Amino acid sequence: MRRRLSFLICLMMTVCIWACGVTPARPSQILAKEPPSLKVWFSQNDSENKVLEQIASRFTSETGIPVEVVPRVNVFNAKNDLVNNAETDARPDIVFMQAPDIGELVVSGYLLPLDIGDETRSRYADAAFEAFRYGGEIYGAGYSIELYGLIYNKNLISEDHLPETWSEFFDRAEQLTLKNADGTIAQYGALLDCKDVWFNYPIIRNFGGYYYGVDRNGGYNPFDIGYNNEGMIQYCEFLKEKMRTGIILRGQNQSQSEISAEFMEGRVAMIIYGLWTASYWQNAGIEYGIVGLPRRDDGTMSKPLATVNGFVINRFTFHREEALRFLAYILRDDHQQMLIEAANHHERKTGLRTPVNLSVINSAYVQSDEILRGISEIGFDCEPFPNIPEGTIWYNYTSPALKSIFFDGVDTKTKLDELSESIRSDVQKMNIVPEPVSLPWYAWLILGATVVTAAWIYILSRRKRRPVLYRLHYHRGETMLAWGLLMPLLILLGMFYLFPILHNIYLSMTDFSGVNLKNYSFVGFYNYQQIFTDGLKGFAALLAWTVLFATLVVTISFIFGTFIAVLLDKIDARLAKIYRIIYILPWVVPSVIILLMWSGMLSDNGSISKLLGIADPLGQPWKARFWTILVMIWFSFPYYMIVAYSFLKAIPKDYYEASSVDGAGPVRQFFSITLPLVFRAVLPTLIMGFIMQFNQFGVYILTGGGPFSGRLGEPGATDLLITHVFNLAFNSKRYALAAAYSVVIFIFVSVFSVAAMRVGKASPDRLG
Amino acid sequence: MEKTAQKKKKKAVSLITHLFLICLAVVVLLPFVYIVLISFGRGVTSVSTVIPSSFTTRNYSQLFTETKYLSWMGNSVLVAAGTMTVAVIIVFTSSYVLSRMRFCGRHKLFSGILLLQVFPLVLSMVSLFKIFVAIGFLNKLSSLIIVNSVFSSAGLILVAKGYFDAIPHSLDEAAKVDGASRMTILLRVIFPLALPILSFIAIQSFVISYNEYAVASAIMSEGVDTLPLAVGLQSMLHGQFGQNWSLYCAGAVLGSIPMIVLFYSLQKYFIGDLLAGGVKE
Repeated sequence: MRRRLSFLICLMMTVCIWACGVTPARPSQILAKEPPSLKVWFSQNDSENKVLEQIASRFTSETGIPVEVVPRVNVFNAKNDLVNNAETDARPDIVFMQAPDIGELVVSGYLLPLDIGDETRSRYADAAFEAFRYGGEIYGAGYSIELYGLIYNKNLISEDHLPETWSEFFDRAEQLTLKNADGTIAQYGALLDCKDVWFNYPIIRNFGGYYYGVDRNGGYNPFDIGYNNEGMIQYCEFLKEKMRTGIILRGQNQSQSEISAEFMEGRVAMIIYGLWTASYWQNAGIEYGIVGLPRRDDGTMSKPLATVNGFVINRFTFHREEALRFLAYILRDDHQQMLIEAANHHERKTGLRTPVNLSVINSAYVQSDEILRGISEIGFDCEPFPNIPEGTIWYNYTSPALKSIFFDGVDTKTKLDELSESIRSDVQKMNIVPEPVSLPWYAWLILGATVVTAAWIYILSRRKRRPVLYRLHYHRGETMLAWGLLMPLLILLGMFYLFPILHNIYLSMTDFSGVNLKNYSFVGFYNYQQIFTDGLKGFAALLAWTVLFATLVVTISFIFGTFIAVLLDKIDARLAKIYRIIYILPWVVPSVIILLMWSGMLSDNGSISKLLGIADPLGQPWKARFWTILVMIWFSFPYYMIVAYSFLKAIPKDYYEASSVDGAGPVRQFFSITLPLVFRAVLPTLIMGFIMQFNQFGVYILTGGGPFSGRLGEPGATDLLITHVFNLAFNSKRYALAAAYSVVIFIFVSVFSVAAMRVGKASPDRLG
Repeated sequence: MEKTAQKKKKKAVSLITHLFLICLAVVVLLPFVYIVLISFGRGVTSVSTVIPSSFTTRNYSQLFTETKYLSWMGNSVLVAAGTMTVAVIIVFTSSYVLSRMRFCGRHKLFSGILLLQVFPLVLSMVSLFKIFVAIGFLNKLSSLIIVNSVFSSAGLILVAKGYFDAIPHSLDEAAKVDGASRMTILLRVIFPLALPILSFIAIQSFVISYNEYAVASAIMSEGVDTLPLAVGLQSMLHGQFGQNWSLYCAGAVLGSIPMIVLFYSLQKYFIGDLLAGGVKE
């Protein structure tokens, strides 16, 4: 019988591996006969999509090439979705995406280099194509640009008084800042977020700091980081001084959205921002204008960081020529005009898309609107955000680093050195080409010894546990029927659980990464070596906190949920119905949105701190941990309440009758009858719950892992094992390392769950 | 005298109970009140706003005029209902088999099913996507039904098996003695007794499918009106609408209605004393 079982499992696995190995029939031969149809992934903007469809049908009637315009939910997923779909039957030919996303795609060979003629180039602002330049080639054609400028409230500052240079900007800002008698601020001359490096980048450049330097060929050099030079130190010291004047956001967790909100209240004269929330300002009746940024103090132009959005071509397209032709067709001036007008909702001129085509910028449509004209003209002098794969590394580090400089009184130079070091170290990690690592002989020895010991212990424990008395004889027909009935489930589990796990283990032994998305190769145990050599700093404390967190959340939610279920069982049924409807809400409403609400409520000027008088609930490590656990219990107790409720009905009433004869009160009954019985029945669910909390990503939405205190890149107080290691691996885009981490965590949690199952099932009641 | 004292005590206990339950209800409702407030708010640019400065119903009308809200919701309800049906069938038969049938390898199999779920699957989307491509799952709502029902039933079997174990075996044996076939026992004896857990499974699988985001956003890469609600809603936070908290919250408020209706209509199965007759031996 046992042999039959292992045979069945083997068969299942082979079937599922075979199923995955079968690649879908290549459609190239089939499609060669049909007229080629282009697929264009475009925008989330309805009217823009419709206009592109019009353009496409014109193109079709002129050339006979059918084009399908596919609306997309947002532009941010374009990179991942292209990687996923580039070689499938659903492959797009032309994709609308952000220029900063192209680096990874180019390095891994997903994009087609374009040959843009001088005539085309002369019709566009420089950024349109320069943003898509990578290693001397151009990979995309810009269509719109996201940028920011100096936005001012016309009632508070007139256009003639706007500052010409950054020093004038700060002088004017101080002059216009008015305080009430009690010292609170009535009006801000300007409002800046000192932790931000995106909107403040032109000011940083004014002082001499920079993100990545540029090499001789005009490409970015990610090893040249200008975040700890003299200029950057001066910038920080300067802003520190300005904090006293009130033009810097006070709260350490506040961000750009608070600045926009203050501007909407009409209390700020100048901000450095874009038009993303302009409709709010309009609705609030603010009269605002947008102009280019103040010049640098040496008289040169300040350039805002910009994100260019444009079209790229999938290298795996079957219709290269047709795609290039359609791209050129889109880039025609008249078509750009149609698209931009539609994207800005024609006469509403929403400012949703800022053009880069010169003829559009100079058209009456743009020029007649002060705001559109203002922002379009800024586009001539902007600095496209680095499109190299290393571009996103700063996200992880700058904000915590600046936070500790400005709010925790850490020495500026020390922290900035640390910031640059952290960025540089990630850049280095990204660019290492891993050498295949095989296990040394002693590792094999240890591994072998462990397996043998485990097997030996297993056999020993089996012999003890199974006296001859208990040996069951299974009926062959019954076994066949049972496995037959379970087959659909097992096949599905094999496909959607077993295969991904095996594939993930394979990935963990490759050099799959952000700069090697496609042609990854086997590197043995390299990633595991990385984990066990340098990935273990602070690991023990992190593990301890994760286990504590998961245990507390599951235990308390389970006891509390069961308690509530019992309570609701005792009270009037109609009322219980109402309570139950209320209590299940945390369980049924999407958790992402409520997590966002909680993080808003727990922020330092949110409702929790105002209602309960707790200052900054997420500010200190243990306070933040306390609230994190509380919020997670809030989420999971309804689930256990409902589970417990359905099990309550299965507890024989005699148990209670017998115990009340013995004089047990309701509290003792709860702890000695209800809880243990429900516990026994739901043990597997509790173990699952523990696993889910152990791998809980929701905490990250709530706290972002913070508050941070140690060095940059070290875990924050509420970081869990999984969020931290994934952050580490993903910030340097080492996806194979992330896979290796998940395998290690998988092994750890499996051992734990097996142990828990054994302990929980220690009772002899297995005959059922 | 003693009786009135006891009555008084009972009254006090019930008063305290209700007070406690009401407090809990307030704590539970707090974030929702917040969501509702923001959904009616005008010009909310940040979630830490305590109370919006002015109110409007425009957010709700905007959902229907400027987004594909209705089709998103339709897709989600369709997928969730499909998932619910498939999951209930799979979980019901599988946990019956695991709990009631004596066959070789059943304990191992049960632990195996648990262990498979230890792996944080959402994190290996790359590997999952490989299989989606191989079996042609891209851009189809029907594939979401299949994936979601696997994800939800894998976890729910663990709960359901425990419940089936708790149903006394004497019942099926009695039926067997009466000459009932296995099918009859399953449908006539076990099924009615399992209704509470089945309605729980129905709700949970509906909820899981309705709120699932990661797989849905990876599979449904084309088109806007074919998206399920969870993915569509997320576009309010970063997309054409900037960070439109009010629109997002309005969408979430309306979006939770199907689940509340479902829960309300299935609630009687939790409450009914279905096992009371059978359990007394």
